[in-house]
Amino acid sequence: MSAGFLLIHAKPNRTWALLLSWMLFAAGIALYFYISHQRHRDNPEDRVMPTIAQMARGMYDAALQPAEDDDAQTRGGSLIDRFLGSMLWKDTRATSRRFLFSMLLLVPAVLLGMHMGLFPYVGVFWLRFILFFDKIVALSLLPILFIAFGIDELSKIMLIVIGVAPTIILDTFNLTRGVPREQVVKAFTLGAGDFDVAYRVVLKQIMPRVLNSIRLNLKAVMLFLFAGEMIASTDGLAYRIALLRRHMGMDVIVPYVLWVACLLFVVDWSMRLINRKLHPWFIES
Amino acid sequence: MSYPPAPRAVLDRIDLQIEEGEFVCVLGQTGCGKSTLLRLLLGSEHPVEGRVLIDGKVHQQPDCTRGYVPQKYSLFPDKTVLDNITFGPEVSQFRLWRRWTPAFRRRRRELRKQASEYLRRIGLSPADGAKYPDQLSGGMQQRVAIAQALMTEPRILLMDEAFSALDPGTRKEMQRLIRSLWRTTGTTVLFVTHNTHEAVRLATRIVVLARESSDRGSRIMMDLRVPDPCSEDQTLELVGRLEALSEVAPVPQAVPAS
Repeated sequence: MSAGFLLIHAKPNRTWALLLSWMLFAAGIALYFYISHQRHRDNPEDRVMPTIAQMARGMYDAALQPAEDDDAQTRGGSLIDRFLGSMLWKDTRATSRRFLFSMLLLVPAVLLGMHMGLFPYVGVFWLRFILFFDKIVALSLLPILFIAFGIDELSKIMLIVIGVAPTIILDTFNLTRGVPREQVVKAFTLGAGDFDVAYRVVLKQIMPRVLNSIRLNLKAVMLFLFAGEMIASTDGLAYRIALLRRHMGMDVIVPYVLWVACLLFVVDWSMRLINRKLHPWFIES
Repeated sequence: MSYPPAPRAVLDRIDLQIEEGEFVCVLGQTGCGKSTLLRLLLGSEHPVEGRVLIDGKVHQQPDCTRGYVPQKYSLFPDKTVLDNITFGPEVSQFRLWRRWTPAFRRRRRELRKQASEYLRRIGLSPADGAKYPDQLSGGMQQRVAIAQALMTEPRILLMDEAFSALDPGTRKEMQRLIRSLWRTTGTTVLFVTHNTHEAVRLATRIVVLARESSDRGSRIMMDLRVPDPCSEDQTLELVGRLEALSEVAPVPQAVPAS
């Protein structure tokens, strides 16, 4: 390392870049286990900071034991069967179902944003309303949603949609207006009709950016999803975490949190992959 | 023609008749309204007073009677070069749902053969046909843009400073290309440029737009035919005359969206 390594002109080599980027993880994990070890020495019954063994045990239970006694398997089946009947899988499936439904409902949001950007009358009609909804804190609507739609699936999905759809609509609207006017005019001179321009020229062009925008809003989607689950649900990953909080079940909570992070990482990565495969022509600037 | 915020007109008392098969160059300084004139012909702007007639009919929007080659953003970035060129006939003959018929597939093959023929004529190889526009140089992109516009056989081809972003060597090649394409297809061309040499080299007819005074719109200051073939001396004399005219005209004020 040269003397100027902390300055703007520094050029870290690959080894240093690799080492430095993992350092905080290593430090955090080491600190956790050190403190956990201390706490367990003072009080073997400690539940706030579980050891690895406890967490592994907790994960094993979650992944292979059913949530409630009435879900129990009559006979011990194979590993796959036990996993499929387990608490973890049940929760993951419930959460994923809600997630996928909300993702599907974002498709009309994208189409609306695109039409708003292209067709002036549609834009004028919807824009003010969407801008207003964008400003509302969706969580504050949650009680209203529960009263109006009940506390089952519909209200949770509506929460996600009301929270995230305005952002997606406005993003798509701006992306549509960012398409150079020359392209639209050119398409008309080549004989395209209005819907050809909308779907075959504009939508195709903005698609990779739209997918990116949705990917960046995944955090918001998960936030609303978890909020809904924690408050009024009988299954789902966030429900389980909220439930275990009351029993101080950190040995299951920590693995659950890590599992959620892992899932989200996989979703994000697969969206990036799909975007690259579908749109090989798109260069991210 | 004027833009709403400024009461002063951009174009004033323009009376222009273009015959079929002419190659008209519109010359003028920046801000004199030549791009506005082109947009009026294209249909993306509408005159405050007066009419634009193509074959005696008014057209409200850009459509396939007028081809368009802009200076930038001329190709669709999400399509390959070949798809860009076949886009015109494909989209005008097959609306949204008809793309899933077998007739489309057959026609598409024919169109692709035609497009490959065009590719060869504009000097690109078949390998270039599979590339995306951002993989091509500026000159190649403009060639494809011209082929794309000519594929639909428009009544008039409108080119808005199409070569202004290219380097001088590429410009000369492009000028030769458009001249040869014009001769073989016989399309009417309206070419907007601020480069006098380019205008004299390309056009059969030159129209110069300029303002008489800064509070009036641009008028046609000169409308002359270029002799064909044009000798070196004649070219130089013409360029001299045209440039003298631009120097006499006062510098225009800033105008929105030139």
